[in-house]
Amino acid sequence: MMFCGTEDPFGQLGTAVLAVLPLSFLCTGRAWGAEKPLARHANLSLSFFSSSVSHSQITRLYSRFTSLDKGENGTLSREDFQRIPELAINPLGDRIINAFFPEGEDQVNFRGFMRTLAHFRPIEDNEKSKDQNGPEPLNSRSNKLHFAFRLYDLDKDDKISRDELLQVLRMMVGVNISDEQLGSIADRTIQEADQDGDSAISFAEFVKVLEKVDVEQKMSIRFLH
Amino acid sequence: MRRDLPPLLYDSQAPARARGRLCRAGAAPGAARGERSAAGSRRRPGPARHGALDYPHVQIPFEITLWILLASLAKIGFHLYHKLPSIVPESCLLILVGLLLGGIIFGAEEKSPPVMNSDVFFLYLLPPIVLDAGYFMPTRLFFENFGTIFWYAVVGTLWNAIGIGISLYGICQISAFGLTDITLLQNLLFGSLISAVDPVAVLAVFENIHVNEQLYILVFGESLLNDAITVVLYNLFKSFCQMRTIKVIDIFAGIANFFIVGIGGVLIGILLGFVAAFTTRFTHKIRVIEPLFVFLYSYLSYITAEMFHLSGIMAITSCAMTMNKYVEENVSQKSYTTIKYFMKMLSSVSETLIFIFMGVSTVGKNHEWNWAFVSFTLLFCLIWRALGVFVLTQIINVFRTIPLTFKDQFIIAYGGLRGAICFSLVFLLPPAVFPRKKLFITAVIVVIFFTVFIQGITIRPLVEFLDVKRSNKKQPAVSEEIYNRFFDHVKTGIEDVCGHWGHNFWRDKFKKFDNKYLRRLLIRENQPKSSIVSLYKKLEIKHAIEMAESGMISKVPSSVSLSDYHEGKIKPLSPTEMENMREILTKNLYQIRHRTMSYNRHSLAADASEKQAKEILIRRRHSLRESLRKTNSLSRERPAAANTKRFLSLPKNTKLPEKLRVRNKTSSRVGDSSDSDLDAATTVLNLRPRAGKILREQRLRQQRPLPEFRVEWKNEVDGSQDGRGEQQDPSTLPQPSIGFRQPLLTRPRFGTLSREDLTADHGSARPMPPPRLVRQASQGDRQRNKPENQPY
Repeated sequence: MMFCGTEDPFGQLGTAVLAVLPLSFLCTGRAWGAEKPLARHANLSLSFFSSSVSHSQITRLYSRFTSLDKGENGTLSREDFQRIPELAINPLGDRIINAFFPEGEDQVNFRGFMRTLAHFRPIEDNEKSKDQNGPEPLNSRSNKLHFAFRLYDLDKDDKISRDELLQVLRMMVGVNISDEQLGSIADRTIQEADQDGDSAISFAEFVKVLEKVDVEQKMSIRFLH
Repeated sequence: MRRDLPPLLYDSQAPARARGRLCRAGAAPGAARGERSAAGSRRRPGPARHGALDYPHVQIPFEITLWILLASLAKIGFHLYHKLPSIVPESCLLILVGLLLGGIIFGAEEKSPPVMNSDVFFLYLLPPIVLDAGYFMPTRLFFENFGTIFWYAVVGTLWNAIGIGISLYGICQISAFGLTDITLLQNLLFGSLISAVDPVAVLAVFENIHVNEQLYILVFGESLLNDAITVVLYNLFKSFCQMRTIKVIDIFAGIANFFIVGIGGVLIGILLGFVAAFTTRFTHKIRVIEPLFVFLYSYLSYITAEMFHLSGIMAITSCAMTMNKYVEENVSQKSYTTIKYFMKMLSSVSETLIFIFMGVSTVGKNHEWNWAFVSFTLLFCLIWRALGVFVLTQIINVFRTIPLTFKDQFIIAYGGLRGAICFSLVFLLPPAVFPRKKLFITAVIVVIFFTVFIQGITIRPLVEFLDVKRSNKKQPAVSEEIYNRFFDHVKTGIEDVCGHWGHNFWRDKFKKFDNKYLRRLLIRENQPKSSIVSLYKKLEIKHAIEMAESGMISKVPSSVSLSDYHEGKIKPLSPTEMENMREILTKNLYQIRHRTMSYNRHSLAADASEKQAKEILIRRRHSLRESLRKTNSLSRERPAAANTKRFLSLPKNTKLPEKLRVRNKTSSRVGDSSDSDLDAATTVLNLRPRAGKILREQRLRQQRPLPEFRVEWKNEVDGSQDGRGEQQDPSTLPQPSIGFRQPLLTRPRFGTLSREDLTADHGSARPMPPPRLVRQASQGDRQRNKPENQPY
C-alpha cells in the first residue's frame, strides 16, 4: 500500500540504509585519509620544499616513485620513465625524462625526483613576501622558466640556437609541415625574442618574451598544492 | 484508399492491437498476416502472381526501413555543406525533416500523423541511446566527479521539477488563463517530465570551444543520471495522481522508492556486466559473435530491470560501464571496433527516429494552444534551470578541488536542452487522468523546439563571446602559440610522471581488489593490458611505411636551409605571412593529450589523436627502443616460464625484458603493477624490422646524442653495419646475425602470439636486440626491401 501501486520486493527497512548511501558519494574525489607511513625516507630532508608541503603528498609521490621503480633499488632509470605510456606519446617525452636526471647520470633517487617535481609546485601568495634573503624556492617563476629553458637548451650553453629550436618544433608538430615552413617559423620565433642580435635566445630574452604569459599557472600542477 | 500506416505508429489508444502486432518488428509475419486477413488481403494459395503488389505482407518492415533510410539520407544531406554541422546541431535538422514529413502526411490525408507508442520508445528506441552513452563514458573521470554529477542530476532535477511544477501551479490558479482545472499534482508531473535535460547537442558544440575538461563529464554524466531520475519521478507522480488520497508517509515512501529503484537498477546492471565479461573470457573461438554478447547482455539488463520495476536506464548504464573494461581486453580488436561502431550506429538511428517522430507529431490536431501556459512553461524552464545551476554550483564548489567557473556554469545552464525523453513521456500520459493532455503536449513541443533550435544554435557564439571578452585583445605572436603548447606538453608530461592526480583511497582499494580477483576471473589469460598496447596493435605498419615512403616523418632539414639562414638576415614578415604561419601552427601543433575524449553521439572521435600518437611513437621509437635494449642486455638467460606472452607487434624473436617476465605474479600475465599501464611501453618499441629500416630516424638522436647514450648508439651503428650485408637475403632466416635478423612474419592475427613462436630458433643464449633503423639506410636498401615486405 505504501509504494504507490508498484510491487516492491524490498522491505521498508532497507530503505533507510539505502537512503543514506548516496550521500556518501558526495565526498568522492577527495583524499580519504589513509596516510601511509613514509617508509625509509622518513627523515629525508626535502628542504627545497617549503614546510607547506603536506606529509600525505610526499607519501603519495613516494608511492608513485616506488611503483615506477621496477628494479626496486631505490632509483629510477630512464627505462622506468619510458614505461609510462602517456609519456610515450607526449611529443616532448624524451626531454622531460632527461630533465629528471642530473648531468651525466643514469639514475635518479627520490630526492632528485622530488627536486624536479618541486619546480611545479604552485606559487603561493604567502611565500612571495616571506623569505627574501633565503635561497630562491624552486618553484619561483624564474626557476620555472629556467627549467623550461633547459628543456630547449640541450648543449647547455645558455642559449637556444635556431637548431635547438627547430628540434623542439619538429617534435611538436605533425608531419604536414615542411622543413622550409618550420624553418621560417623558427626564424620568426627567434626574431621576436632576440634583442641583442645574436640569432639565439638567451635566458634573459626568453624571460622577456614570456613576461605576459602566465607561467606560474601553466607550470604548476595542482595536486602538489 | 487509406494508407494503412504501420501499427507501431498508432496512438496508444489501441495498445492491445499495437502490442499484439509489434511483438518483434517484422519477425512475426504469420501473426501479422493472420490479423491482416481481416483487412481482406488474404493470400490465395496457388502460384504467386509476379508483379502484383502484396504490400500488406511487408508493410511493417517496409515502412520501418523507409523511415530509417529517410533519416539517414537526411543526415547525408546535412553534412554536404561542411559548415552546417558546426552551426546547427543535428537534432535541429532531424526535427525539420520530421516536420516536413508530418506536413506531407497531414496534407495528404487530412488527419493527424502517427505518433509514438510507449512500448516502442521505452523498449526499443531508448536503450541504444543510453547504452551508447554508458559505454563511452570515461569511467575514471566519472567517478572522480561523481559527487558533483550526482548532485546536479538528483538535486538539480528535483529542484527543477518542483520549482517548475509549483510555479506553474501558481500560474494556473490565475483564473484569467483558463487553467484552473490543472491540479498541483498534474503540474508537478509536468514539471518532472519537462526537466529532463538532454544536452547531447551541446556536447557536439564542445568540440570547438575550449572547455574545461571537467565539463564534458559533468554534462555527460548529468544527462545520464538525469534520465533515470526523471523517469522515476514521472512514475512516482503518475501513480500519485492516480491515488485517491496521499498520506505523508507515501511521500517518504516515494523518496525511498526512488533510491531503491536507482540502486536496484545499478546492481542488476553490474551483475550482468560481470557475467558478460566472464562470458567473453571464453569466446576466443567464436570471435565473430563476440559483439553480440555485449549487446545482448546490456539489453538483458535493461529489460530485467524494467521487469522488476527498477530503473532500466541505470541498469544498462552500469552494465555498460562495468563491461567496458573487461570486455575491451577479452575480445579481439575487430570485435571491439565492431562493437563501437555498431553501438554508435544503433544510437544514431534511435535518436534520429525519435526526432523525426517529434517533427511528425508536431503537425496535426494534437494540440491545444494556451498562450499563458506555454509561454510561462518556457520561461520557468529557463529561469529555474539557470537558478538551479547557479545555486547548486555555489554549494558544490565548496567541496570541489577544481571549482566551476562562470563560463562553465553558463554552459551547463544554457546547455539544458530538452529532447526525446520529455517528448516521449508526455505522450505517455494517460488521458483519463490528464484531460488537458493536449495542452501539455503543445507546451512540451514548444519548449523542445525553442531549446533545440534557439539555444542549440546560439550557444556556440555566446560562449565564444564570453571567451573573447575575457581574453586580451592583442594579437598573439607566432611564437606564443608555440610556447603555450610547449608548456602544456611539459605540464602534461610531468602530470603523467606524477601519476594520476588526485589520490583516492577508495579507488586504490578498488584497483587492488580488481587486480587481485576480478581481472583474474574475468579476463582471459595471455592478454596485453593497456590502451597503449591496443593502440599499438592497431598501428598498421603499412601505414607507417606509406608515411615514411612519402618522406613525411622527421626529415632532416637539409643543409641547404641551414646555410640559407646563416647567409641572410631574417626578413620581417608581412601580416599575411604571419597569419599563414599562425594558421599552420594552429593546425599542425600536436594536441595535448586529453584525459577524456569528447563524447559525440555521431562519431567516434578517437582517430585524430590516434594518428597523432602514432606519429609520435614512430618518431620516438628509437629512444624508446634504446631503453629496451639496455634492459635487455642486462639479463641474458631465457625464461623458464611456461607461457610468455609476446605482443603482436614484436618481431618473432624479440626478447622481452627480463624484468617484466620475472615479475609475473600470475603465471600467465606480463606485468602486474597496480599501475597496469607501465609494462605497456615495451610493446611500443618493436616495429617490424623492415619498417624500422625504412623509417627515417629522428634527427635528434643523430645530431645530439645525449652523452649517456653515446656508447650504445655507436654500438648499434657498428652492429647494424656488420649485419647490413646479410640483410639482402630474407630467406636466410634463423641466422643469428649480429645486427639484423630477418624473421619470417606470419600474417598477423589480433591477439598475442604464444611462446611457441618464440622458441622457433635461436638456441643461443644471447638475446637479439630488435633491429633498428640506422640513418645510413640508403635508398638502395629501401628499394630492395620494399618488394619483400609481404606480411600484410
